[in-house]
Amino acid sequence: MDKLKLKSDIQDNDKIKVKLFAILRERVGESEITITVPTGITVNYLNSEILKKYPQLKSLNNKFVTSVNWKVTAGDTIISSKDEIALLPPVSGG
Amino acid sequence: MLELEDNSAGALSVFIGNVRNRGRSGNVSEIYYESYSKMAEQKMREIENEAQTKWEIKKLVVFHRIGNIKVGEASIIIGVSSEHRNEAFEACKYVINNVKTRVPIWKKEISNESQKWAEGILLE
Repeated sequence: MDKLKLKSDIQDNDKIKVKLFAILRERVGESEITITVPTGITVNYLNSEILKKYPQLKSLNNKFVTSVNWKVTAGDTIISSKDEIALLPPVSGG
Repeated sequence: MLELEDNSAGALSVFIGNVRNRGRSGNVSEIYYESYSKMAEQKMREIENEAQTKWEIKKLVVFHRIGNIKVGEASIIIGVSSEHRNEAFEACKYVINNVKTRVPIWKKEISNESQKWAEGILLE
């Protein structure tokens, strides 16, 4: 007989889309990536998953910030697939 | 210029930022500009509103070009009109300084030999 799974054992996943710009976009070769993560994760968790999936970005760690809904956001902010998320390298407009 | 016209404005200050032929990485023939347009527009409006609060400004316009821009061409134009010159000068300076450090726009310096993203400033 199959063992019944308790609800707490089932982890819901969230597919989070992340926009990439400038050097980050070029390193990955895509302007948007999708990362599957457990629901209720933080910006810091998302970034560590991105670096695992795209090791070519590791040398740029600490050389980008994360925006959530068009605002630069602290690492402990909780995010979901409803948010618009982007990784932003140092800016150089003008 | 028409957008800046105001009969009560005695001063009109314009800043034009051009692509120059030397960058940090050496010779430059053109610059490629990229932006996160939605956030960039929000940030520009925020900076414009701050300038409007700090100085008595009649009108203020900011244009930033995106894509490939050749040496000698303008990448950014800022125009401010105000009753007296000091407000227009100061607001113009404030807007360009803040656009450079707070708006998500990136430039890549391109020459015949290389292409290099400019070192920039991390957003806060």
